[in-house]
Amino acid sequence: RAHSNPFSDHQLEYPSCPGDMNWGKLYPYYYNDETKEMTKKVTIADIGCGFGGLLVDLSPEFPENLMLGMEIRVQVTNYVEDRIIALRNNHIGKYQNVNVIRGNAMKFLPNFFEKAQLEKMFFCFPDPHFKQRKHKARIITDTLLSEYAYVLKEGGVVYTITDVEDLHNWMVKHLTEHPLFERLNEEWETTDKCVSIMRNATEEGKKVARKQGAKYVACFKRLPDPTII
Amino acid sequence: MSIIHPVQSVVSSENEQVIYTVVKNMLLAYKKSEAKDSSYQLVGKWIDDTAIGGDNQEGTNNEGIKKAKSNEGTAVSKNGQGSNMSTPSTHAYIRNLTLSKNEDRLFACTDSDKAIIILDIDFENMENCLNLVKRQRFPKRPNAIAISNDEKTIMIADKFGDVYSMDVDAPVVEKINDEVEPILGHVSMLTDILFKESKNGKRFIITADRDEHIKISHFPQSFIVDKWLFGHKEFVSSINAPQWKCNLLLSAGGDDSVFFWDWESGKLLSEFNYAELVKPYLTEQHAAPSRFQNEANDVVEYAVSKVVSLENLPYVAFFIEATNVLFILSADLENNTLTLKAKIDLPGNVVSLSACKDAFILSLDNRDLGNSNFVKFIKFNNETNDFSIDEPLSSQLDSVLVDSLKTNDSATVESNEIYPLYNVTSLKKHGEHYS
Repeated sequence: RAHSNPFSDHQLEYPSCPGDMNWGKLYPYYYNDETKEMTKKVTIADIGCGFGGLLVDLSPEFPENLMLGMEIRVQVTNYVEDRIIALRNNHIGKYQNVNVIRGNAMKFLPNFFEKAQLEKMFFCFPDPHFKQRKHKARIITDTLLSEYAYVLKEGGVVYTITDVEDLHNWMVKHLTEHPLFERLNEEWETTDKCVSIMRNATEEGKKVARKQGAKYVACFKRLPDPTII
Repeated sequence: MSIIHPVQSVVSSENEQVIYTVVKNMLLAYKKSEAKDSSYQLVGKWIDDTAIGGDNQEGTNNEGIKKAKSNEGTAVSKNGQGSNMSTPSTHAYIRNLTLSKNEDRLFACTDSDKAIIILDIDFENMENCLNLVKRQRFPKRPNAIAISNDEKTIMIADKFGDVYSMDVDAPVVEKINDEVEPILGHVSMLTDILFKESKNGKRFIITADRDEHIKISHFPQSFIVDKWLFGHKEFVSSINAPQWKCNLLLSAGGDDSVFFWDWESGKLLSEFNYAELVKPYLTEQHAAPSRFQNEANDVVEYAVSKVVSLENLPYVAFFIEATNVLFILSADLENNTLTLKAKIDLPGNVVSLSACKDAFILSLDNRDLGNSNFVKFIKFNNETNDFSIDEPLSSQLDSVLVDSLKTNDSATVESNEIYPLYNVTSLKKHGEHYS
């Protein structure tokens, strides 16, 4: 299935709060059996990670960061799980810093991540939800951006890429209007290695490239909170 | 047999001198005069004229339209038509009756046209103290409202998860879909909202939803999320901020406990588990729907409908939907715990609950009780150090209610034509969608 309704009551597993999350199960290399603590926290999230292409390419580039893909479609999540298991088996010691969970990031992101935990959030080729009345189902909305800002640390980056120009304009508009985000310029985009990985790594990105379609990129920096009135 | 429709909600002025009730699609105000031992009199009435059609309601519509015209003008009657067509099952329910702090305004939500209504209260007007001054429609059904401390702004939490801020005195916005953006939102149905000021004078909005979440956002900088309060495993249906200390918060819903929080620090102070207490009061009405039943047929589903607190005394009251008991808890502000203070058995199921300075006021599902037991006042008695029903006061209001409504065609219904009185437990999620 290409779509999943983010408003439905899915059969989902999620921790009741970030402290209850069993991260050791996803990243056993970073779990200290003696202290029962993780030695690292997830700092990169790929929201709607699809088939996991971005995660797989980011993994060797950011060996010091733990990365989590979140995907709402069950079969797709199962595929990514199998893909990561295979990669870990075939490359001993590698790909230990990436994993995936099935989840609804629009509802339960704060159940997984603490305030200011994340450094980067990726939104690659999200569902465009073309119809006007479905716009609240889009992954970038004014009200959700406040929640993304909560889990992102100051200076953290939101990456977006899409082949749908209308959706691109929508995401740029809402991120630009949000007081806690500021767009990063093209020069920054050309020097950031995540941007080039994002353009080329994802399955969706490759599909668009084969069709020689356009890819629209926009990246935004998390600004500090203003003084509370 | 026709009966007077049960009271769906009731709120009181600080000293119980004025009682506001919702009966079907009507708001009714009853007031005692200043004289000692005086009794309640009907002093105000407002009817939601956008009531959804139906033979038995024609009288209501005509009467209502006349009233609405004198109050507000054409926008009101225009609104009704669309909802008539598209949602035949909608009732002209009036929800979330809220009295402003200085008791000069009533706020409520109307299901018929998804609007917030604001009524001025003027006791100088001997004919009718209630006067509709604003009716603002919203894109989705408002589920809860909160009023800012200066009473100039109200926050509206809707069924779709969005919160809108509305200037009380601003003119009605006609094209709300195009002109007004939500100030914050959840991707889940919102069930309750509070406006709070912290110790150091910062303002916050607290919102509760069907996904177990309680979110705290700054105000007016509502784009800054302060924190979430994690702990609920089921939907949250009701939140309440006791007046005794500004950092306290109560919450309850589909869980077996009432939660007691320090919302400023984000700490769960304690829980009061009522699972055993409620057992004797559960009936076949609490059996889970058949598709969620087990073989033994003993899966029960229940939820707290409302939790409130007295303003002057450290007591909390809550009830479980479709039960005929009110639980009153005593709050220990030294150890931050809640303990059972009283169990008040009632002649019918509790339908609504509110609190004023030193009384709890509730309305009952009295459809089998022969036009009596509409409203109960529950008061703390200093001599016995316990709570009990103030029967004289309750029955006096009952008899005035009956007198004022028995010849009212709108309030008199067949017992199978009652508006839905139980709609909280159905918020429970069953995780039906697997993919």
